[in-house]
Amino acid sequence: MKYQLRHTTHYDYSSPVTLSHNEARLLPRDLDYQHCKNTRLSISPTPLRQHERLDFFGNRIVYFAIQDIHDSLEVTIRSQVTTQSRPAPAGDEVHAAWETVVEQLATGLGGVTTAIDPHSLEARLFTLNSPFIHRSESLRQFALDCFTPQRSLCESVLALNQRIYREFSYDSEYSTLATPLDDVLKDRKGVCQDFAHLAIGALRSIGLAARYVSGYLETFPPPGQEKLVGADASHAWLSVFIPNWGWLDIDPTNGSLPGERYLTLAWGRDYGDVTPLRGVMNGGGAHELTVEVDVLPLDS
Amino acid sequence: MRNSAPHSPLLQHLLEDYQAERPQGTHQYDDLVTREGQFRARWQPLVEELDELGLDGLQQRTLEAQNLLYENGVTFNVYEDEVRKLRSWQLDPIPYVISPQSWTMLEQGLKQRARLLECLVADLYGERRVLKDGILPPELIYTHPGWLFPAADSGNLYERPRVIFQGMDVMRNEHGEWRVLGDWTQAASGVGYSLENRIILSRALSRLYRDAPLSRLAGFLQAYHRCLSELAPHRRENPNIVLFTPGPGSSGYFEHAWLANYMNFSLVEGGDLVVRDGQVSMRTLGGLKAVDVIVRQITDPWCDPLELRGDSLLGVPGLMQAARRGEVAIANSLGVGVLEHPALAAFLPGLCQYLLGEPLQLAGRDVLWCGEPTYLSTVLNDLSIWQIRAVNDVTQTIKPAELTPDALASLHQSILQAPHLYVAEQPLKPASSPSYNLKDNKVTPQPVSLRFFALADPGDSTSDPESRQHRIMPGGLAWVAEPGTPVMESTIVKDIWVLSPVAQPHVSLLQRAKGPILVTRDGMDLPSRVAESLFWIGRYGERLDNRSRLMRESLTSLVEEGQLRLADTLLPDLYTALKLDLPDALDPEHDPATQPHGEQPPAVEQFMILRKSLLGLFQNADDEGLPRMFNAMLRNSRAVRDHLGDDAWRTINTLHQTFSDLPNTQGANAGQRKLEDIITLLAAFFGLCNETMPHHFGWRFMDIGRITERCIASLELLKLAMISASRPGTDLWETVLATTDNLTVYRRRYRSQLYPAAILDLLLFDETNPRSVGYMLKRLETQIEHLPHPETTPFRSQETRLIIQATSYLHLVDLDTLTDLENSTKAQAALETLLDQLLTPLCALSDAISHSHFSHAETPKQLVTLQGSDT
Repeated sequence: MKYQLRHTTHYDYSSPVTLSHNEARLLPRDLDYQHCKNTRLSISPTPLRQHERLDFFGNRIVYFAIQDIHDSLEVTIRSQVTTQSRPAPAGDEVHAAWETVVEQLATGLGGVTTAIDPHSLEARLFTLNSPFIHRSESLRQFALDCFTPQRSLCESVLALNQRIYREFSYDSEYSTLATPLDDVLKDRKGVCQDFAHLAIGALRSIGLAARYVSGYLETFPPPGQEKLVGADASHAWLSVFIPNWGWLDIDPTNGSLPGERYLTLAWGRDYGDVTPLRGVMNGGGAHELTVEVDVLPLDS
Repeated sequence: MRNSAPHSPLLQHLLEDYQAERPQGTHQYDDLVTREGQFRARWQPLVEELDELGLDGLQQRTLEAQNLLYENGVTFNVYEDEVRKLRSWQLDPIPYVISPQSWTMLEQGLKQRARLLECLVADLYGERRVLKDGILPPELIYTHPGWLFPAADSGNLYERPRVIFQGMDVMRNEHGEWRVLGDWTQAASGVGYSLENRIILSRALSRLYRDAPLSRLAGFLQAYHRCLSELAPHRRENPNIVLFTPGPGSSGYFEHAWLANYMNFSLVEGGDLVVRDGQVSMRTLGGLKAVDVIVRQITDPWCDPLELRGDSLLGVPGLMQAARRGEVAIANSLGVGVLEHPALAAFLPGLCQYLLGEPLQLAGRDVLWCGEPTYLSTVLNDLSIWQIRAVNDVTQTIKPAELTPDALASLHQSILQAPHLYVAEQPLKPASSPSYNLKDNKVTPQPVSLRFFALADPGDSTSDPESRQHRIMPGGLAWVAEPGTPVMESTIVKDIWVLSPVAQPHVSLLQRAKGPILVTRDGMDLPSRVAESLFWIGRYGERLDNRSRLMRESLTSLVEEGQLRLADTLLPDLYTALKLDLPDALDPEHDPATQPHGEQPPAVEQFMILRKSLLGLFQNADDEGLPRMFNAMLRNSRAVRDHLGDDAWRTINTLHQTFSDLPNTQGANAGQRKLEDIITLLAAFFGLCNETMPHHFGWRFMDIGRITERCIASLELLKLAMISASRPGTDLWETVLATTDNLTVYRRRYRSQLYPAAILDLLLFDETNPRSVGYMLKRLETQIEHLPHPETTPFRSQETRLIIQATSYLHLVDLDTLTDLENSTKAQAALETLLDQLLTPLCALSDAISHSHFSHAETPKQLVTLQGSDT
């Protein structure tokens, strides 16, 4: 599929900002199954300094500083993103029991040979606590309902994905930036970010590796209606590490496996690693935020 | 025990006493005495000196050193703001002595360790081979609070050593072998203390320090300075090097100020720095001044609220990016805190082989990292025989053997839940070393920890981490404590002597050879914050002085007229001047039902009540109390420690001592004496500042603060005495003259007759009298004229206009309207108008100056507030 992506973040400040330093994680990644063209980041007012780099996780970060006195800030990313269907595990890895995988992650040794497996070692970072996701006994119990003894990793992961989709209700009013996972677990509701955090927390609590993925999803207007401009939204899901294969994306908010309609922006340990826009400023007072996202299909 | 070398009776006695303190039946290594019971050769110079001095001489020298230490204000622990809790430590006159042979070995080992750590950190934030090849478990690194993900980003243009300066803690074990206890890479403290100790001891034991063949320290700090200069981006000439401190509230602030002074760096806090145009700059009176090198004394996570902890108020937004772009050099680089990981000790031998291809020369602690499953079960099998440290807080050692069963079970559970966050070790058995015990006046064997300092040679940007060269300071900081006790928890510190094979010439630490120097006199690069603090030292100091004088007069009045009816004394007016309410029991307007008009408590009771309320100001921590004002002055003085001369600082310390004793003051007479002490010390302080501070902007701001405060106080007092007093007359006028220190001048001119017109002339108009408002306005005008003008503008600044306004009112007043002040209400009204006309612009002056000259760095805030909790 081919999309025109636009994501605009607009801040209005109640008092002037004299200086601000910012980081945008808004440039989508180039991947085997995703190619970005004509990617443009426009910032208003025009920053004096702007530098791009890759972070630890390989995400594209743009640092920018604004020194003109300003009372609003607008950051827009536009990109033509071509997506393909994603590979799915099909070989022996499909049958590996989840306990074996936990073992392999813990030892860092390859499953068949006993040589060191650098991928498993690298994935171990995503088994650990992160600032917004802490492993816990309740999360472990939640996971174990799906991860029954000797069940295959792939099957169990899909079951967990389905379970969150079925048992939790989407409530856009419910969530704050970082809802504690215990609350999500108790109240059985949240937004995509909470469900991704919940699934990651559950997987890590039993020793598996999972990472947070931010991006976009093409949505369809209700039947018979025009698609509204700016009505799409950022989305979040997660990836699970499958040894000797790679990372498998799952989307517990929709109970599906991300495919061509998903645009990947960035990934990290949790939301904190991929915050789309953050900044520190002098002045500003209170602020109002408007976000608009369009994922428009293009004729290919 | 037979001694081959004959000792004097004193030494024999000392040796026997010393041996008696050592544990019997063990073969614990002792630094001073061989197993045969003889003094080791390296102690010869010291033993001879001891023989010469005797124990009493040693005691006297120790006290002398102690005095110097105290006067120089050497403290470690100044976190609290209370007057009383400032801790100094005791300086042991007996150093820790290391022989040349032993040093060669130790120095080699420390150099290797520094090289190894540099390679490790370069790899961790670069290729991460040690993780990919399974040499180090990833969770060990990634869960340490010193690991910074943003420091591993691409785009780092900075290719210099990451660890420029570091501290390494070392101890001899019971067999006399060196063991490294830990590394300090983020903000290694102690180098200032070691130099200060050396300076003080060379004064207290001058002959010994002059003649002993010990390695000198001055060269090391010169090399440190050179190294920092070479780090400057684009190899700028005369780089601007700043020392970045968390501020006077931090435990190492004394040392930060000391180092900044010694090395000639600007001492800056986060609010002094700003990133603009991609560059780090310092806010100064003359505007922004680019910073080339930052010597960081603040731990990693707090340095940049944009990329690191968003809740940091100490950091500088955009600092990491400026460093990444090579626009500023930070020593040490952000992220090196991960090297302080206590579990690394277990992996260093393997890492040394892997990264350097050679065996590790100096052993570290024998630690077990609980993240390793086999070690975890070993440790949990019998927790009580181990000492446990949590990875994220290395200063705390948990001793399971001393825990209650409940606490033990909870520790067991914590370790089991996150084993990778704990290390276990067997307690190190230390060697003993001689330490002088001041209380008992004898020399006893004690465990001693040592901190050494390593400096990287910046080399050129192409050199590999493996080929970096290091230099170890031939000396350091030693402290008496059980192994693993942090230096700030110790009470006794020592100098470290590294003996050199040949005697080295004594180089004064205070005279540093300098390279080409850029002569500057403008003082424009004074940080705005410093100017502000100096201004407030002036204001608070003067306010304290004025209040002390008023209190002295009040106590005098109390002693002299305490037996009179209250309304017949000056006390009600003095209370007004002090901005205090009379004690309820004495206030005629208070509750007339129980206190019928004119009926007062008996004289003795009245005296007691008044005395209590006045002396209460000695301990009162609220606005009226003296301690509050002194604290404000002290806080500001600490913030500019590097701008005050040593003598001025000693006065501050003495004032500090006076204030510590103040709450214990009993009686009005004692109170008067204390107030006189305070007045004298304040005069000494400001006098010394006047004499020793260059008469540049800093001094001008302090002076403006003082004069403004004094001017306002004089005007308010005049207003009270001449217009609103409940009991006007000569007694009160005399008090006014005494409070403003004008009594002698007045008497000389007018004998003992008091005329209001003469008082007014002396206090308001006479510009030759330094205590007159006229003189003070003139002085303010001159001082303000000399302040830097941020922009060239044809208009007068607000503060200049305010002074002109006040001066004009004073000059233009029609003196005829003020005649017969005692009887004419018209004259009183005219005077009141004049005084108000003078007070209004003076009260606005402070804000105007602050607006024009001080930095208004409001605390930057986050666009999105996100703060996860520790992993």
